[in-house]
Amino acid sequence: MEQTQNHQHTKNWYDKIYKWIIIIPIVLIIFSVIYLVNFNVKNGDLIYKDVSLTGGTTVTVFDSEVNIESAKLSLKEEFPDLIIREMSDIRTGKQHGFFVETTADSDSIKTALEKYLGYKLTSENSSIEFSGSSLSTGFYQQLKIAILIAFLLMAITVFFIFRTVVPSGAVILSAFADIIMTLVVVDILGIRLSTGGIVAFLMLIGYSVDTDILLTTRLIKNKDGTINQRILGAFKTGMTMTLTSITAIGISFIIIYSFSDTLRQIFGIVLIGLGFDIFNTWITNTSVLKWYMEAKQT
Amino acid sequence: MNLGWRIWFLIIVLLLSLLAIKPSFQSGVIIKSVEKNSSAFNEGLRTGEIIIEVNGQKIEKKEDYANIVDSFFAEGNETKRLDIKTKKNEYTLFIDKAPKITVDAISSTKIKTGLDLRGGARALVQPDVPINDNQLDDLIQISSNRFNVFGLSDVQIKGVSDLSGNKFMLIEVAGATPSDMQELIAQQGKFEAKIGNISVFEGGKEDIADVCRNDATCAGINSCNPTQDGGYFCDFRFTLYLTEEAAKRHAEITKNVTVDESSRYLSEKLYLYVDDIEVDSLLISVDLKGQVTTQISIQGSGSGKDQEEALREAKESMKKLQTVLITGSLPYKLNIVKLDTISPNLGERFSYLLLLAGVSALLAVSLIIFIRYRKIKASLALLFTSFSELIIILGVASFINWNLDLPSIAGILATIGTGVDSQIVILDEARRSASISIKEKIKRALFIIFASYATVVAALLPLYWAGAGLFKGFAVTTIIGVTAGVFIARPAFAEMIKKIEGQ
Repeated sequence: MEQTQNHQHTKNWYDKIYKWIIIIPIVLIIFSVIYLVNFNVKNGDLIYKDVSLTGGTTVTVFDSEVNIESAKLSLKEEFPDLIIREMSDIRTGKQHGFFVETTADSDSIKTALEKYLGYKLTSENSSIEFSGSSLSTGFYQQLKIAILIAFLLMAITVFFIFRTVVPSGAVILSAFADIIMTLVVVDILGIRLSTGGIVAFLMLIGYSVDTDILLTTRLIKNKDGTINQRILGAFKTGMTMTLTSITAIGISFIIIYSFSDTLRQIFGIVLIGLGFDIFNTWITNTSVLKWYMEAKQT
Repeated sequence: MNLGWRIWFLIIVLLLSLLAIKPSFQSGVIIKSVEKNSSAFNEGLRTGEIIIEVNGQKIEKKEDYANIVDSFFAEGNETKRLDIKTKKNEYTLFIDKAPKITVDAISSTKIKTGLDLRGGARALVQPDVPINDNQLDDLIQISSNRFNVFGLSDVQIKGVSDLSGNKFMLIEVAGATPSDMQELIAQQGKFEAKIGNISVFEGGKEDIADVCRNDATCAGINSCNPTQDGGYFCDFRFTLYLTEEAAKRHAEITKNVTVDESSRYLSEKLYLYVDDIEVDSLLISVDLKGQVTTQISIQGSGSGKDQEEALREAKESMKKLQTVLITGSLPYKLNIVKLDTISPNLGERFSYLLLLAGVSALLAVSLIIFIRYRKIKASLALLFTSFSELIIILGVASFINWNLDLPSIAGILATIGTGVDSQIVILDEARRSASISIKEKIKRALFIIFASYATVVAALLPLYWAGAGLFKGFAVTTIIGVTAGVFIARPAFAEMIKKIEGQ
């Protein structure tokens, strides 16, 4: 008895505002698009890229002694674009080594590092990753195409599953909003994307449609209960799904944080994306879908 | 107990996967490489054998082997007897230094880890002109020969192409990286022998009929001698067989060369060039003047700070020369467009952190599930199913010999994540207090899951080709994972829930 009343209550306030709520995602999507267009004009691209996408060298040196600040000062003279970062142990926080990133080729940075450190860099004490610039640019182009094709294939699949324009459109809009909003946050945070980061956006496409498909199926395929009851049921399931994903990826993110740049970026981007997915599934997608259902009923 | 065929199917696939992963708990160390023509090699020790005893002492770990061998040869330079017992055989070596073999711990499973985790080098090589598939095959063949001649084991060379149709050669060397990797890959290997400025013969089939290799009667190290500055140098020599045509050319050119004052040699030398760099020059003995001779003795040397190093240098130069003579030059230049050398030391830590992350994540997720549903059976069933999925992915990966690199690991994590999501859908659909039967509820849950599956697979397909296949691992493990999830694990989980809820 109590539960029914509760539902009744939910229904009342939600029914009043759901059409108005849709303004928030619309504003955010418009803002994101404007921001990205503007960013593109200023920086010549939608993202900041790291050396795996522009070409250059990443060196990881296992040295717990060297002072990273002074190494930075010294190396910056010869390599102005150089970025140096500490790598530390997750439990003790003690320095474990450091990463160096530069657009220079591997031989010149290796020589400079050896000179500064006073010992030879071997496969025992370091890892070196070099990508030529034309290759990296090529990779970037292809990954962009991969994302575009992936998104299109996803959209076609969604249309094929639901075979109705508005619900399918809402799922696709929600996935699109997830991606561009995540992209905006990544740009605002100044994260320089690597190939791994781009792959993370692909993962995001998969993750974000999950809850949208659940919601749409429960709403348009099932007939039991009122629309609001179905939304609430889907919301409980969907939130459990997203929260377990966020927990699992959040924990992995913390553990891997100072160890692997690639995985840190992948997990970080998926985390941001999952956060937006909560918003876009339960505000953007739900509002559109509810509107559509209510309109169809009357 | 009647489990239903879906659960049985999961159990059977799970067992098959475990069989594919095949955890083993045997002690000993595995031989990774044996230097050609070393005493260990001549006694018959080969790559892949498992050493279990050295001089009667048991070998359990890699460290045991290193300790025993190092301490045994630590003192004195005299020849000692070393007994090595492998699983297959027993060998007795009489040597004064540690045997020229490298050993490694026996991997406890058949799961193959990629370079990111195990360490090694990866190079992506692109010719400076566009090539077709046949040319790429030739390039791979020639490069494989080179690596073989250099005695590098555990090298994988294959052709890859990307979305724009560019063709590359991908070279992966496991474990320690040879310092001259760059040189080894990128050299065009153009060999030319000149007298004065006139080319006499070139490397490859046109001019070279055969090269003597691995045959002590016509190829080998002649002598090693100390130099004045305390170092050493060693001479090598091997026989080269010219084609009739090249031999005639040789005669034609030498005919016009004068004899030097010693009257033993010609006044012009035979200069050997590799990639347009002079590597050696040979004196031409006077009795070759104007003669059509198909047999030429090539000499050269290597130097080093001690005899061992000089010997190694000499052997390496000889191999290099022999290879370029046989394989000939490539008709284009090679560019190394990507070269990664990953320290093997990183791998162990990385694997540990990944395991830590995986276990913590799974525990945290089970905790959430338990708090949410307050049902121990259903939560355990969910944990069991997710864990099965992981085992199945690893099993299939082992079965198809897939190397788990960083993208693959990311794919596995993504899959387990979406897997848990699907299990939650089933749980919730089954628990909903609707008027329909449990069977119908499960059917609906499976619809949602199949729909998600289709979108994930669609989204990942392009990654299979993008970026010269370097991110393929992500697509491969995810597709294995979601497929196994949708067709095996999820139906079984649905069955479990039906049974649990039906009670």
